[in-house]
Amino acid sequence: MPESALDRLTIIEYNRTGGAAYATKLMADLGAEVIKVEPLTGDPDRCLGPFPGGEPHPEKSGTFLYLNCNKQSVMLDITNHTGRQVLDSLLRDADVFIHDIPPAEAEALGLSDKQVRAGKDRLVTTFISPFGESGPHRDWKAYDLTTLSAGGWTWLNGWPGHPEMPPLRPFGRQSAYQAGVNAALATMGALLARLRTGRGQHVEVSAQECITAILEMTFAFWPYMNTPTARWGQRPIHPIDFFQCKDGGWIFVLCVEEHQWQRLVELMETPEWTQWEVAANRFVRASNWDALRPFMEEWVSQWTTDDLYKAAQAKRIPFAPASTLSQLLDSEHLKARGFFVEIAYPQAGTIKQPGAPSKMSETPWEIRTPAPTLGQHNETILGERLGLSGDEIKSLNGARVG
Amino acid sequence: MPGPLEGIRVADFTWVWAGPTCTMQLAHMGAEVIRMESMRRVCTLRMLPPWPDGQPGVNRSGYFNQYNQGKRSIQLDISKPEGAEMAKQIVAMSDVAVENFASNVIDRLGLGYEELCKVKPDLIMISMSGYGRGGPESGYVSYGPAQVPLSGMSQLTGYSGWQPMHVGMSYGDPNAGLHAAFAVLSALFYRARTGKGQYIDMSQQESTMAVLGEGFMEYGMNGAQPPRSGNRVAHMAPHGVFMCAGEDRWLSIACATDDEWRALCGVMERPDLAGDARFRTLADRKANEDDLETEIMSWTLTQEPFEASERLQAAGVAASPPFMNRELAEDPHLSERGFFVEKEHPEVGVRQHAGIPWRMSETPCEVWRAAPIMGQDNDYVFGELLGLSSGQIEDLKARQVVY
Repeated sequence: MPESALDRLTIIEYNRTGGAAYATKLMADLGAEVIKVEPLTGDPDRCLGPFPGGEPHPEKSGTFLYLNCNKQSVMLDITNHTGRQVLDSLLRDADVFIHDIPPAEAEALGLSDKQVRAGKDRLVTTFISPFGESGPHRDWKAYDLTTLSAGGWTWLNGWPGHPEMPPLRPFGRQSAYQAGVNAALATMGALLARLRTGRGQHVEVSAQECITAILEMTFAFWPYMNTPTARWGQRPIHPIDFFQCKDGGWIFVLCVEEHQWQRLVELMETPEWTQWEVAANRFVRASNWDALRPFMEEWVSQWTTDDLYKAAQAKRIPFAPASTLSQLLDSEHLKARGFFVEIAYPQAGTIKQPGAPSKMSETPWEIRTPAPTLGQHNETILGERLGLSGDEIKSLNGARVG
Repeated sequence: MPGPLEGIRVADFTWVWAGPTCTMQLAHMGAEVIRMESMRRVCTLRMLPPWPDGQPGVNRSGYFNQYNQGKRSIQLDISKPEGAEMAKQIVAMSDVAVENFASNVIDRLGLGYEELCKVKPDLIMISMSGYGRGGPESGYVSYGPAQVPLSGMSQLTGYSGWQPMHVGMSYGDPNAGLHAAFAVLSALFYRARTGKGQYIDMSQQESTMAVLGEGFMEYGMNGAQPPRSGNRVAHMAPHGVFMCAGEDRWLSIACATDDEWRALCGVMERPDLAGDARFRTLADRKANEDDLETEIMSWTLTQEPFEASERLQAAGVAASPPFMNRELAEDPHLSERGFFVEKEHPEVGVRQHAGIPWRMSETPCEVWRAAPIMGQDNDYVFGELLGLSSGQIEDLKARQVVY
């Protein structure tokens, strides 16, 4: 009887951008076995940081550690023939192969889906690329900022009324996270299909499309109303805005439904607002927001952030604080839910980090092992599982021979 | 070939954006998704623009139509006991139930997991509330836009020295929706091997924090809130969005290596910069990033962004304009890939919608139908699936159970 949702699935991962690593993190945390194939220099995320004290170290990169718990690491130079053959041996016994090598380079390495899947009918290959595996921009080079921009996100993010300020990226490599969750989702679809057909298949994921698919209502404004995107998206309803409280914290003032606005007016003790034509409904409030904003600002500035958050929520108005990380780590609510997990990394120390994105009643989400050190599982995977000798493993690892 | 979820049925109690994003992924994969809606509590998205010609209407919203592609819709007032009973009958014929009401609302309707298990013992059910079940804030109300500040993302995002910012969209919603769909498929996989269903408790706040890992790691390592840094990052320079010729025109440029930087200098026709000691290595460019950006902007201000990004890409530099919606809609690359979906809709006709960001080689995923108008599938679901006569359906309508 499987003890976890993805028990007994074996996934081979080769990560470049964080997209492949996040896809396999989602699956590893639900019990899949994930073997990371890393170049001799290591997954590039090992160089990314953040690092303790700002000192770069391949075993202390926060990005790498976060994305790679529960995985095993083997070192292989897949650009050379022997390394490529060993990878093939790993793939023969695997259920899924996920990489995010751009298409042209993948082909040159013999890692396109046709090259990889030949003779492996049950293998699911899921490849993430910035622009997909076809089309005129297939071989465009991209980092996260590039795909966030080409996908349409950065244009939405900025400051209304400040046209001199550039379109802005959100924090974190969000196109990698989105490509990752889409890749994990589509991979599960392919694995479910395999239960029925007995056959694997190829899945391709475009990071650009993953962003374009989630632009809230802003994409539709073009085909429906010929209205171009505005900075900070389309904000057809108000209030939806940040204000500073008297303790210096920031609160996000939000009313989506009219009944929430009615209760906000009660909370503000400004019954006359219900008579104001400029505040008649959520659309009218949006048109007149510049005029209404100063009143709201004045009112908010009389509150502390937490008091206002609680007072609004007591009236079922969906305000939220702009939380700092320490506020989240100290949150009684998140403690009661047991959200954060504390992981002891052998070299980077003990760190409290985000836990499960959802809680499943029958199958655990758990961190069983911290992120692997580079090549930590060379012996167990390449030696014990594939039967390579110690010398063969050493010679695979190039500089380490002798 | 049918889609990967052929034969799976989903009882869809969701509304607004997060829940519908989850169930749309399942529809994309070929599941039959039945939205339960009612005129008593119309889905918020149906009431929001854009609408063709600016004319509102519950079946006219482009926002709704984008995130409900390929689903069925029935009208059922589940706040009435008879409506809730019919919803149970639909769940009994389904594999998955999805809801994103505020925490515990579904229990008050008598449609909680335990009740539904009585009619469908191996049910997979996911609740996607803002704060999750249990914990002192579990009863709080939450909408997608508030998840961005609540999760910590706003404090991390923004121009250097400016106040916390939004990220331009209600990111907590689609991010939760996609993670929820992944969890549902994982649960279906487990059910296929064990016969057991399960209940999934998703907090949108938590699923948003899951994609802020590098921020929490930095705090955990160094005990400080990472400062807002605009478009800059530690491991690349230049890394920015630069002003171009014309009004509100921009170009993103990112260089991770010295080779890419020299290639950028080549396209800018500035060999002097390639040799400039201020910019030779990443460390140099980070140390002189203001100067670096000033030099680049003196070039981009003379450039048309799409034309410049073509030349930069040809030279191996990662560059792209920030696309606005029109540029996406008219992008030859996305069109050639067949990304957009244009299906006939009974009230808005043929409109362009964003499609499916993955392709499967053996079990193709597709949008088989545009988003439904309210109650489009009343006859199919009440008649064919539940076996009610047209007289019975008319009676339910008269009593506003079907409403």
